[in-house]
Amino acid sequence: MSKNFKVSLGIDEDALASCVSCGLCLPHCPTYRVTQEETASPRGRIALMRQVEAAGVADDTFISFMDACIQCRGCETACPSGVPFGPMMETTREALADQTSYQPRYRRLGYSVLGMPRLLALGSRLIAVLQRLRLIPSRLALPRIPLRQTKLKASGDDVWLFTGCIMDAWMRDTHAAVKRVVESTGAGVRLPGNEAGCCGALHVHAGLTLKAKKLANKVIEAFPGTNPILVDSAGCGAQLKDYGHLLGTTKAAAFSSRVFDVHEWLAENLDKLPKINSDEPPVIVQDPCHLRHVQRSHEAVRLVMNQYIGTIELDDDGLCCGAGGAYSSLHPETAAEVRTRKLESINRSGGTNVVSANPGCMLHLQQAGVSIQHPLELVDSIIARAMKRE
Amino acid sequence: MSSKRKKTIFDELKALLGSRVRADDMELQLYGKDSSVLSGVPSTVCFPLDAEEVQGIVNICNRFQRPFIARGSGTGLAGGAVPVGNPVIISTAKMNKILDIDLEDRIAWVEPGVLNLDLSKALKEFGFHFAPDPSSQQVCSIGGNVANNSGGPHCLAYGVTTSHVLAAEVVLPNAEIVTLGGIDPEPTGYDLRGLFIGSEGTMGIATKIAVRLTPNPPDVRTLLLDFADVSDGALAVSAIINAGIIPAALEMMDHNAIGMIEAFVHAGYPVEAAAVLLVELDGLSGAVEAAVETIKDVAKIHNAGSVRIAKDETERALLWKGRKNAFGAVARIKPDYYLHDTVVPRSKLVEVLNQVYQAADKYDLIAINVFHAGDGNLHPILAYDAREPGILERVHSAGDAIIKASMDAGGVLSGEHGIGLEKRDFMHLLFSAHDMFTQDLIREAFDPQGLANPLKILPSGSRCSDSFKQHVPEGVWV
Repeated sequence: MSKNFKVSLGIDEDALASCVSCGLCLPHCPTYRVTQEETASPRGRIALMRQVEAAGVADDTFISFMDACIQCRGCETACPSGVPFGPMMETTREALADQTSYQPRYRRLGYSVLGMPRLLALGSRLIAVLQRLRLIPSRLALPRIPLRQTKLKASGDDVWLFTGCIMDAWMRDTHAAVKRVVESTGAGVRLPGNEAGCCGALHVHAGLTLKAKKLANKVIEAFPGTNPILVDSAGCGAQLKDYGHLLGTTKAAAFSSRVFDVHEWLAENLDKLPKINSDEPPVIVQDPCHLRHVQRSHEAVRLVMNQYIGTIELDDDGLCCGAGGAYSSLHPETAAEVRTRKLESINRSGGTNVVSANPGCMLHLQQAGVSIQHPLELVDSIIARAMKRE
Repeated sequence: MSSKRKKTIFDELKALLGSRVRADDMELQLYGKDSSVLSGVPSTVCFPLDAEEVQGIVNICNRFQRPFIARGSGTGLAGGAVPVGNPVIISTAKMNKILDIDLEDRIAWVEPGVLNLDLSKALKEFGFHFAPDPSSQQVCSIGGNVANNSGGPHCLAYGVTTSHVLAAEVVLPNAEIVTLGGIDPEPTGYDLRGLFIGSEGTMGIATKIAVRLTPNPPDVRTLLLDFADVSDGALAVSAIINAGIIPAALEMMDHNAIGMIEAFVHAGYPVEAAAVLLVELDGLSGAVEAAVETIKDVAKIHNAGSVRIAKDETERALLWKGRKNAFGAVARIKPDYYLHDTVVPRSKLVEVLNQVYQAADKYDLIAINVFHAGDGNLHPILAYDAREPGILERVHSAGDAIIKASMDAGGVLSGEHGIGLEKRDFMHLLFSAHDMFTQDLIREAFDPQGLANPLKILPSGSRCSDSFKQHVPEGVWV
């Protein structure tokens, strides 16, 4: 029997009442799909929140049920009543982080590093060296981190490119490819200084809202002016678009209104993209949850891709791949089970190569041997090959 | 603690299932509810993986004289899976494999936890589907469909679950495993399969089900007719069928339903209309085309505002998404709902619909109608907020009035949701004491100990002494 402790989740009463328990969310929930258990379903999690809110006490079992949610928010697109599940789960985790031992010190430290670009770069360099020396056990399933990265250079002042934390430290080549595709439309790309750093998405998911707000303020300061801010990571994009809600200021709302997933922006500028006849075999599009279920702008990826290459749809209604930001590190077993469903869907689709517009999904699927790229890395290589031919 | 301690039922279930048996208080409460308004609390939840494990659980329950209730996806609308009497819940959700697809004989063997839509999706590449399509088909399980003899929009032309299930392997309440029915076209002897389908878990638990595969139609056309007057829409329903057409589906949604659905799907449903009819025609192209013309004529005669024909599969899917998500969208109006499932003769639709609205008005409630008009199967939803003091009594009274109106019109209590706990005490409106006594005899033949989903379907007192009230959990309306 685990110990009870007092807790008040502080979830909006009407939001909590808005679930009619119809269960239509169940098949769209990745953790329900792999467990078939109510405790791992959106409907069940809401019922658990109601229990705790009514009793004013919770226990470690409740924390483990809440922590098992990937926060993919697939339930929100499935919910006919529009239950705001994501914000309810974020509020719950914030209350647990504030009032209980939900986020222990070592985890908080880990999240803090994301907001310290220099330390993150240094640590990444260290991991890269240790990887070359074969001193990092493969069971940690880290991607191969580059030893050296070329610095990105600004090319103008039409749009900003948000570079973020982990993605800039580990996958800057992706940023470089995205930047070239944006530039191919004739736009000049401006880059934020080092101080922009982390968007704070993982902090919000972990319930560390105060830290997320601090990071948000830093990010907003790093992007002066009114030009559009393009994001090539679906998770970061969703977070930047939510700053208005997170901070509740008009300044933050104005910032959020400037944020676009890079595909959204390109989809508005299709006529400016280079015209190329390509005979590439079609590619599978794997929608990141925070692009499809949160930003709801996943169609833009197809509009851009289809200028150059055919796209293959998966048959799983946009079910999560299991990456979920830090989720795959914190819950490796569930994450792998969820991924297995995605791999089966990929196998059924008849394609082989996959594109996905989020670094987390890319890394998580790569670890299972999937041949995967950022959509714009593929577009960039198609454009580059065509240029070479000419 | 003494090692000689007498083993509890939990100990024995644990020995059988390991971590797949639960008794944590928080988790138990989640299994106290389905999609109806009722709730209770079970003593234990079990997640068996095969028939032998189900048999083991039922054996243990027999030994401890503990009731047991099978549960699929928990989307029932009549409290059929709501625990009464401190039971063991047997979740079939983890038994979710499609075991065999036989295209030549057009049969598939599936486990009960397979989701209805997952089955049709798996059959799609072969050009087949499973015909019963309850609105909750994306989540409801085949086992649940069997338990409730479920219908769905397309059952107007294709028939309900019993027409599509050939056989079932069943763990009987005495823990014996038998196969009811068979895959031969006309099994001899009593149709125990037919008796079992719709028995709501009171005659045993299906552990394997042989379903009939239906070929996908060569052509499909989906039409949306809108009306400024509900009665015109209701009259058009009979007129379509009297014109010699049996549509694959013929659904009606009223003004309130259209509004909440459109807010979710953005399919261009006419939010100003008093009612719409969603009509689907399928079959050979020529016949479908001719039927479309007939329906246009009927629409004109009955004052339809317009006839919209879905131009492609995407538009068709979007219109259906609206219809099939309707119940779940009720919280856009009020956070709770209570609904009935009566069936009335098509000719009485106008009259009974009016009485539904009158009942809602009388008790100051919101009525939402979204239903299978083609077969007269009403689903009047009463939307309310349970936090409002005294509202349950009003909802209850309005519900009673709706039932009475339906029965007076020559209708029946349930089209497809089952009787469960919620509709149980209305059974006497439909059956005489003698009828119910006879039904209880049949039930007892399957379940002499009275452990399989007790106190459901038949009101207590149809046979034995009236002792059920002591088991009834708080919040249950009886």
